[in-house]
Amino acid sequence: MIEVKDLVKKYGDHTAVDHLSFTVERGQILGFLGPNGAGKTTTMNMITGYISATEGTVVINGHDVFDEPEEAKRCIGYLPELPPVYPDMTVREYLSFVADIKQVDKKRKQYMIKDAMKKARIEDVAERLIKHLSKGYKQRVGLAQAIIGYPEVIILDEPTVGLDPMQIIEIRDLIKELAKEHTVILSSHILSEVSAVCDTVLIINKGKMVLQDTPDKLSSHLGNKDGLHLTVKGSRAAVDAAIAGVPGVTEREYKEPKEAGTVNVTVYNDGSGDIREGVFYALSGAKCPILDMQSSTMSLEDIFLQVTQEDNAPKKKAKKKLVKEEKQDAGNL
Amino acid sequence: MLAIYKKEMRSYFTSIIGYLFMAFFLVILGIYHVVYNMVSGYADFAYALSGIVMVFVLLVPMMTMRLMAEENRQKTDQLLFTSPLSTTKIILGKYLAVLSVFGIVMLITCFYPLVLTEFGEINLPYAYTAILGFFLLGAAYMAIGLFISAMTESQVFAAIITFVVVLVTCLMDGIVSIIPTDNRTAWIIFSVLVLILVIVLYLMMHNVTVSLGIGLVGEVALAILYLVHPSFYDGSVSAFFDWFSVVRRYDQFTSGILNLSSVIYYVSLCVLFVFLTIQAIKKRRWS
Repeated sequence: MIEVKDLVKKYGDHTAVDHLSFTVERGQILGFLGPNGAGKTTTMNMITGYISATEGTVVINGHDVFDEPEEAKRCIGYLPELPPVYPDMTVREYLSFVADIKQVDKKRKQYMIKDAMKKARIEDVAERLIKHLSKGYKQRVGLAQAIIGYPEVIILDEPTVGLDPMQIIEIRDLIKELAKEHTVILSSHILSEVSAVCDTVLIINKGKMVLQDTPDKLSSHLGNKDGLHLTVKGSRAAVDAAIAGVPGVTEREYKEPKEAGTVNVTVYNDGSGDIREGVFYALSGAKCPILDMQSSTMSLEDIFLQVTQEDNAPKKKAKKKLVKEEKQDAGNL
Repeated sequence: MLAIYKKEMRSYFTSIIGYLFMAFFLVILGIYHVVYNMVSGYADFAYALSGIVMVFVLLVPMMTMRLMAEENRQKTDQLLFTSPLSTTKIILGKYLAVLSVFGIVMLITCFYPLVLTEFGEINLPYAYTAILGFFLLGAAYMAIGLFISAMTESQVFAAIITFVVVLVTCLMDGIVSIIPTDNRTAWIIFSVLVLILVIVLYLMMHNVTVSLGIGLVGEVALAILYLVHPSFYDGSVSAFFDWFSVVRRYDQFTSGILNLSSVIYYVSLCVLFVFLTIQAIKKRRWS
């Protein structure tokens, strides 16, 4: 469906995208993940034929974007970072204009506009001027614009930026629905979003692809160890003594407890089996009641930070801070 | 192309700009028409028309400043250039729209000589030649304005540069007449022009080697010419600037001369600047 091969974009000496290759199959949702300035937008601009590539090819539906731009662009609906809307048009006029420049079938045009408005839930603002709409509505108008003409490929650059949590959930559902008939590429810096929506995640950093896999498999890629977060009432020595005796427990990581008289610990196992039961009986035998138990797998945030910051190890402090912020981010959503 | 054309026409006539342009133009022309033709009883409509050539200084920037600059600023150019339309069609659609608005006022202008026939014998072919020349002159200016608008994201910047360019070409005759005609001055003027060219090249390509190279070659060639063959510069300045004196050729039309070379001059100016606009946009996206 979409074949990107050895894509390179150089601005003078600066390499924005460095030999990026990937393919997306029909009906898939591919998520682009990367820190700011990783080359996500540049890559999307090249796939849609907005800017040229220094090297490499992009083939959409069998059409090379750079050799047969008109055919290739016909298969693409694109929502750039800023929704490309004309403030002085009403929503309906705007969508009608988009349908015209996309050269859709005249007979189906009205139906398509109506359908796009329905899907993006902007029917109630159809006759309003775009400049009077809120950021969230403008974003949805941009999304409606991208799906007009039912292009095979829909490319969305940070589609949920500026939306409230309710709208974000709506847009995610819409994207999932779109994937039934279209191939979707979306970029995001909100990690939970990518893991919630995408079939495949592609992490890029400094223009290079770092990792590509399904969200579930990504964590196993990195030799991730499963941990068990515990909040236990009792003294640290007693808790440690009890847990250490459980077969399969390897490392124990203590954190500052939130409540007085409790212990906050993360227990890692050696992978031989489930340690939850053992930990429970050991602690109950030591008369240290478990207040909270949570098993944790490496989250996408951790993976993301690990792979994008691998080469700047000295910045560990910054990394920890970032983790907190990202988690808050994810929590807010 | 039709979609772009319709959108531009819509934006001229849903905003105040289209009406303001037409009203301003027709009011000024009306005043000149009344004063020259009605009150003074001068039967030559071309005379009234040539009196208002200077309105282009204001009206051309007003019409062309937002054509591409606004798309660049709003990022709606991403919508246009990722649509299946080619750059050529997009730019042609825009240019034809601005020409149409201008064409409407020129059509209205065509009635003015007819009004004069009420009062006596009027040489109509003479008057309509002048109107044709006026339209061609305006069309060439609009193409230049379109080009400037495509170079920037700022409407104000586009307007100011277009204003200056139109003003300079309007005043070119006067400027050339006060320049000394000796060879030394000519040499200096051409050297300065090469320097300006170097700066423009650098701004467009951001390539120091190429722009400096071209500049050096140009300056050396000019210096050698001046030292070896100074008579080359005889009358070269006025000949050179005549080419840029867009208005000069318009004077032929007002004298009732339908000179094919002048028509071709204007049409090629239009084609050249529309072509340059397309190339500049492609260049920016493809570099």
